[in-house]
Amino acid sequence: MFRFWKVSASAGAALLLVFVGALLVACGGAEEEGAEERAAEEAAPVRAAFVYVSPVGDAGWTLAHDRGRQAIDALPFVETAYTESVPEGAEAERTINQYVRNGYNLIFTTSFGYMDPTINVAATAPDVTFMHCSGFKVADNVGTYFGRMYQPRYLSGIVAGMMTESNIIGYVAAHPIPEVIRGINAFALGARSVNPEAEVRVIWTQTWFDPAKEREAAESLLDVGADVIAQHQDTPGPQQAAEERGKFSIGYNEDMSSFAPAAHLTAPIWDWSVIYERVANEVNDGTWSSYQYWGGLEDGVVGLAPFNDAVPQEVRDAVEAKRAMIASGEWDVFTGPINDQDGNEIVAEGVTMSDGDMLGMRFFVEGVVGTIPESE
Amino acid sequence: MSDSRAAVSMRGVTKRFPGVIANDRVDLELLEGEIHTLLGENGAGKSTLMNVLTGIYLPDEGSISVAGKPVRFNSPKDAIALGIGMVHQHFKLVQSHTVTENIVLGLAGGFQPVRLSEAEGRVAELSERYGVKVDPGAHVWELSIGEQQRVEILKILFRGAKILLLDEPTAVLTPQEADELFVTLRSMREKGHSIVFISHKLDEVMAISDRITVLRGGKNVGTVQTSATSPRALSNLMVGREIQFQTYPRPEMKGESILEVKGVSAEGDRGLPALKDVSFEVASGEILGFAGVAGNGQEELAQVVTGLKAISSGSITVDGRPMAGASAKDFIDAGVSYVPADRHGVATVGDMSLTHNSVLRRYREEKFGQGPLLNLVAASKYADRLIEEFDIKTPGRETAVRTLSGGNLQKVILAREMTTRHRLLVVMSATHGLDVGATEFVRETLNHHREEGAAIVLISEDLEELLSLSDRIAVLFHGEIMGIVDAAQAEIETLGLMMAGERQSEAVA
Amino acid sequence: MPLRLEMRLERSRRLEYLVPVLSVLLALAVSGLLLLMTGTNPLTAYGEMFSEAFGTSYGFAEVLVKATPLILCGLGVMLAFKMLFWNIGAEGQLHMGAWGATAVVMTGWDGSPWLMVPAMVVAGMICGAIWALIPAFLKVQLNCNEIITTLLLNYVAILWVAHFIYGPWKDPESFGFPMTKQFPDGAQLLRFGDSRVHLGLVFALLAAVVLYFLQEKSRWGFEIAVTGNNPTAAEYAGMNSRRNILLVMAISGGLAGLAGMSEIAGIQLKLLKDISPHAAPYGYTAIIIAWLARRNPWGVVLVSVLMGGLYVGGETVQITMKLPVNFVLIIQALILFFVLGGDILSRYKLVYRREAPIGG
Repeated sequence: MFRFWKVSASAGAALLLVFVGALLVACGGAEEEGAEERAAEEAAPVRAAFVYVSPVGDAGWTLAHDRGRQAIDALPFVETAYTESVPEGAEAERTINQYVRNGYNLIFTTSFGYMDPTINVAATAPDVTFMHCSGFKVADNVGTYFGRMYQPRYLSGIVAGMMTESNIIGYVAAHPIPEVIRGINAFALGARSVNPEAEVRVIWTQTWFDPAKEREAAESLLDVGADVIAQHQDTPGPQQAAEERGKFSIGYNEDMSSFAPAAHLTAPIWDWSVIYERVANEVNDGTWSSYQYWGGLEDGVVGLAPFNDAVPQEVRDAVEAKRAMIASGEWDVFTGPINDQDGNEIVAEGVTMSDGDMLGMRFFVEGVVGTIPESE
Repeated sequence: MSDSRAAVSMRGVTKRFPGVIANDRVDLELLEGEIHTLLGENGAGKSTLMNVLTGIYLPDEGSISVAGKPVRFNSPKDAIALGIGMVHQHFKLVQSHTVTENIVLGLAGGFQPVRLSEAEGRVAELSERYGVKVDPGAHVWELSIGEQQRVEILKILFRGAKILLLDEPTAVLTPQEADELFVTLRSMREKGHSIVFISHKLDEVMAISDRITVLRGGKNVGTVQTSATSPRALSNLMVGREIQFQTYPRPEMKGESILEVKGVSAEGDRGLPALKDVSFEVASGEILGFAGVAGNGQEELAQVVTGLKAISSGSITVDGRPMAGASAKDFIDAGVSYVPADRHGVATVGDMSLTHNSVLRRYREEKFGQGPLLNLVAASKYADRLIEEFDIKTPGRETAVRTLSGGNLQKVILAREMTTRHRLLVVMSATHGLDVGATEFVRETLNHHREEGAAIVLISEDLEELLSLSDRIAVLFHGEIMGIVDAAQAEIETLGLMMAGERQSEAVA
Repeated sequence: MPLRLEMRLERSRRLEYLVPVLSVLLALAVSGLLLLMTGTNPLTAYGEMFSEAFGTSYGFAEVLVKATPLILCGLGVMLAFKMLFWNIGAEGQLHMGAWGATAVVMTGWDGSPWLMVPAMVVAGMICGAIWALIPAFLKVQLNCNEIITTLLLNYVAILWVAHFIYGPWKDPESFGFPMTKQFPDGAQLLRFGDSRVHLGLVFALLAAVVLYFLQEKSRWGFEIAVTGNNPTAAEYAGMNSRRNILLVMAISGGLAGLAGMSEIAGIQLKLLKDISPHAAPYGYTAIIIAWLARRNPWGVVLVSVLMGGLYVGGETVQITMKLPVNFVLIIQALILFFVLGGDILSRYKLVYRREAPIGG
């Protein structure tokens, strides 16, 4: 056990390794070779990288983004790459940075938790265009993009409101953040616009991606009599629960009908190719400059999945009527009168809520059963 | 010349290990329906012989026949197939499984399913038939030690064994549990089973066995009918009649009293009483020997006077300092050195170097470092000194002591414990397993330290050693001191009787 | 067939160093076959991994960033293992350390970094130490199995942190996402040059030096070594094992707590849910590191750096060679598998025999 000198030798080696490395680091990147050169060889004008929060196979959020990626990958002047399951927070900085170092000039970071890492890396790479999904921080080379998902949510609410018989609609929700709350409210408004007796019961899972837990939440809603299940989750767990019980369901992110062929009525879905193609073109033309994109039904960045055969024509017509009104800009979802759960008027008759108020939404509208967890 | 009633007959069995002959041409005949005790001191070769009989060891020479047919075991499985099973001292049970599950464990070959309910029925039937009381559905962790032993016995019976070997089965039992065990053993004997019973306890041996074989130094020194012998005769056989020993000149040099033990009682690891009301004194320049058959409280005695075991009553003083509630460190600080019996398990750290081991109990001393620091240079020099002074055969002081031979390892321990300034030296089985030269060296060293004025507690199973070194000899039996005799006047036969449980007054009379 | 593992009597030093190297080569060979099956040239992939992690200053800086919490947790776990206290709880201790450091920031006190950072270090280490002392006390007082208690306390610590970032400490501007506000400048650890290498690396190397001296040069280190090798001998030598368990765990947890503190004050700059990566949490990777490092502080540093290289290099080939993320995880897992397997072979030998060795 006593082997001071031998130990010291390996200790020396370890210390040397670390210190030499640290020295190299401190002296800065004199020998930043390789990566860029290699990249330059085959360079397409737009080299777009995507940072994903979960595996592409999640059938939800990331799959929707990857469909968008594939769409621009088909463009002649674009090549794409992606990394799956990148942790949110500072770990992501390395991944983003490695794309920069490998010569990618357009980087999409597709989850809220990448906001600070994106801003941090962008500060060191002024020539690269960054687009961060769902955040609010911008810079000269960082823009944001998101969709008015509340619009198709409202439409799917109409479907649920007309299809329910028990007048209890279950909603499996992820985290109590404004985006999710907005979706629940829009959904409830849609349902009650056609069925004032309907109520929307909410369960929070505090997860985005946990198939078992999300499925269980749906089951408990079915247990209390819900006959339509909607969800703001990235797995098809709730769909499968509804399918098994012979009830209806509304999907999210993607057409989830393959997981619940009988139950799945429709789903509010993303079509990210709309914004991805726009940004790719702008970068290619050199016309891109930082902006915050929040597109709606009119752009097609959000929409509804095809209806199940079980959805009668009358329902389809009702949905189409409202869709046309929203897409034309004639009317939007959060137009008064809107009351909160306690009956207080929040938006007066004829007034439409501002984007700022929508982005910070912290209340439930009338007809929603549930509370917003608030620890303060 | 095989007896038709012999269940097992071993002829001329010899088993050698490097440097030792564990069994030297041993004959043993086990009859059908008898309880046969194997008696002997530690290291006499009992366990080796049983391991040969259960197929764990292959004998170097000799033959074994079972039910008159010569056999050759290649593995324990072969022995089990012939109906020989052993209950070890340390049970091999899965605590979280039930009794029945433990019994059938490893039985069914391959992927054949075991029908547990069927097995449970058979276990219940067996336990009824032999009077082995245990609930087949109970989990092992719920059972007392005695009940766990019954599970081991059932395990063997379940496999159809006719011949049972029990290795010191009563060592872990309470007297009541031991009595119940004997009832079981007798009932098995009636049903034609043959039992080999290993024990040190002469009273038990007399009570339970039909015949007794005594092993000494790896040899069979006699097989006797129990009815035709006595504890005295047995202890003489075990110890050996003709002891030749060199007596060291023992000038009277007793000084002031160093160790005083008054009315001390203590519990063993199982919570059973191990020492009962023990009192004695050892003075400077005196060696007090402790004799006794193994397992009669010697280990606990050594632990109590070195602070490694708490006492439940009584008092201990070292050099006039009361040691109530003192830790092992306090005893070390008070100048108590200790050479334990277990050299590998207790006295040394096998994977550490000789240097480290040489300061194992001394690393706090000022000479081995300042403040919180350990001065390994000083320790190395000290190790070098020990190697030279004690003539320790080792490739170097950085060698892991695990690789040293028994004699050299003992030298390391003795060297460490004796080169310190001690007031009291506690030594247990100091020469056990050592060759003649090493033994002589240890004895001379002990005697030298006595002359230097140390008080020495010498615990040994070797009467010869005790007689040659001690000033006085105390005999332990069942945790009590049977008497303390002057070594110069001690008679081996008297000591033998005391070791068998007779008080000094009775033994002398 | 009676094939079995038998402890090597003589542990050859050469074998001890050769086996890990051979294991890594073997692992690379097997994953190379898998790579070939997907049509990727394994040599190119490995070359890329290595040259990114150790051949570029950016890559190596990231390796050190990754290695920093691994070294600190690894040292803590190693010390506990050295005494045969199976601390599986570095992950929880790390979370509590991060929590303690954040608590200092959340007081709203915005002092100079000269006061703020030391206060966070102390708070982080104390919280980690307290978390580690719970199982230590349970072990010493009630003899509770520490593998279970340390493991389960991990979940408690992770939920404890979650409670605060979902609740009282949540940044009102985070759109409801569970994280605190970014720490003020005074509460951030100094970074070196343009890189993300931060003061935590200095803490980690200092900790290695201190542990080395404790282990090899102090009486207390001697006690730990003896206790770990032979607890009975430690008792015989008058060592106070109960006190030492408490001390060892306080240090072990303190180091893991420091890892948590330095990770949030040096890299994340806020307290959030995923302080430790899901795929290979620091506190659990530290167990493997402590094992491979052969209980040697320098070994911990070396293995942590190599482990960091494995991750950073793995991420690179994901990007440059477009290998799927799972493939990189497979390569990493294979390397660990072979190294741990090889480790067993360096301690034991495979023997074919019938007769049992000499018993007592």
